[in-house]
Amino acid sequence: MATLRRLRETPQHFLSCVMSSFHDPRPRHRHFVETHYYNYKVSFLIPECALLPKELKSLVTELGPYYLVKNLPLHEFITPEFINTFVKKGKLILSLDKDTYEETGLEGHPSKYSGRKSMRFIVSVDLMELSFNLNSKKYKRTSWSFKEKKPLKFNFLFAWHNTGAAESSLMSYFSNYHIQEHQPRVSGSSLGELPCPVLQSDYIAGLPGVLCGAPELFEWLGAVCSNVDQNNEPHNFISTYCCPQPNTALAKAYLCSITGFLLPEKICLLLERLRHYFDEPKLAPWLTLSVHSFADSPVAWREKEHGFHKGGEHIYNFVIFNNQDYWLQLAVGANDDCFL
Amino acid sequence: MEFEESWSQRIMRIDPSDYHYMKVRLEFEEHGIGLNAAQFKQLLVSALQELFGEVGAALPFDVLTYEEKTLSAILRVCNSGFVKLWSSLTMLGSYKGNKCAFRVIQVSPFLLALSGNSRELVLD
Repeated sequence: MATLRRLRETPQHFLSCVMSSFHDPRPRHRHFVETHYYNYKVSFLIPECALLPKELKSLVTELGPYYLVKNLPLHEFITPEFINTFVKKGKLILSLDKDTYEETGLEGHPSKYSGRKSMRFIVSVDLMELSFNLNSKKYKRTSWSFKEKKPLKFNFLFAWHNTGAAESSLMSYFSNYHIQEHQPRVSGSSLGELPCPVLQSDYIAGLPGVLCGAPELFEWLGAVCSNVDQNNEPHNFISTYCCPQPNTALAKAYLCSITGFLLPEKICLLLERLRHYFDEPKLAPWLTLSVHSFADSPVAWREKEHGFHKGGEHIYNFVIFNNQDYWLQLAVGANDDCFL
Repeated sequence: MEFEESWSQRIMRIDPSDYHYMKVRLEFEEHGIGLNAAQFKQLLVSALQELFGEVGAALPFDVLTYEEKTLSAILRVCNSGFVKLWSSLTMLGSYKGNKCAFRVIQVSPFLLALSGNSRELVLD
């Protein structure tokens, strides 16, 4: 009966919205962005704008590259050479099902989302700690596990925050494996007339009948990004969706999306550039920047465990106002921490 | 749930969305069968009716987007009807005598999530 009841329930989800300003002496927005490591898609929407602004054009095409390495054994990540060349400080975090976990013979802990009967386990290997003492029991056991006990191989995506020599060594370092370089895919579209919610930065929760709040804006943004028709009548058979009220009409808007394996440092740069869009007077009262995490990454923010459950969603969205105030929204599913 | 340091204003909503969104695709065993948006919606209504009767068929839901070429759609349904709709899609096996099946590509309580599905990243 408990199982049936659980199957009938809709999954829990969380939306947290906070307000701050770029003039705040503590750059919390930067810290937030920099600690989201696994970013799949970035998109920004600029109201009352028909073309990609010049100041953003070069940055948008320079968010890559990233690399795909196929059938890479895990033991390559714990070699001193790899750690000293590429890893300043970091952990190798594995999210394993019960059988695989027991076969590795490594020490881990049950997933916080696996319920009473643990079917998923998390193993965390501190790479810097390992590299300091190659004769330690821990290093020997980890090495034995990855090379002999349970030699796991996966296809990996790599992105490296560095330029010049370090980048070329990534290609040459894995030259014995099948490594491909990829560039993020960029797509832009000019949107015609569309309704949009009326917002004011001071009123994050909205004002009934006067202003929309952050949750309404978040849903509307989803409709724009999915190209949903917003001009439906309540009696329409196909769809009754319409723009949240109160709303106003935009003459045009520009929507740009970049997908791939995107570095948080590059997203930070993009955020700064978008913030400075308002250095000169613009018709747009605000613009948005949304970032989607990888649905299947074992962590979403810092080392916080991320679970897929039914959707794997972990999205954050900035609403940047022309007075340099911003709203930051974080939307997560049942198997995530909402920490904003 | 832990929160970061204090912000000027914060609102935190648990289960903020009244709706769930589904990205689905209809596949036929044979090629060349087309449906317009109204026929597509009617098919979903009849799927609900088949499994849950007249009460089930009255479940309100929206076809937010529909692409006739690929028979793909984004659906919106209230939370209380989410499991009913999903199970109806699962059990639907034919349309006018033609064998078919629904593929549920992605589900989320956030419509924005449906515009970015990392499982669609193909790199070969």
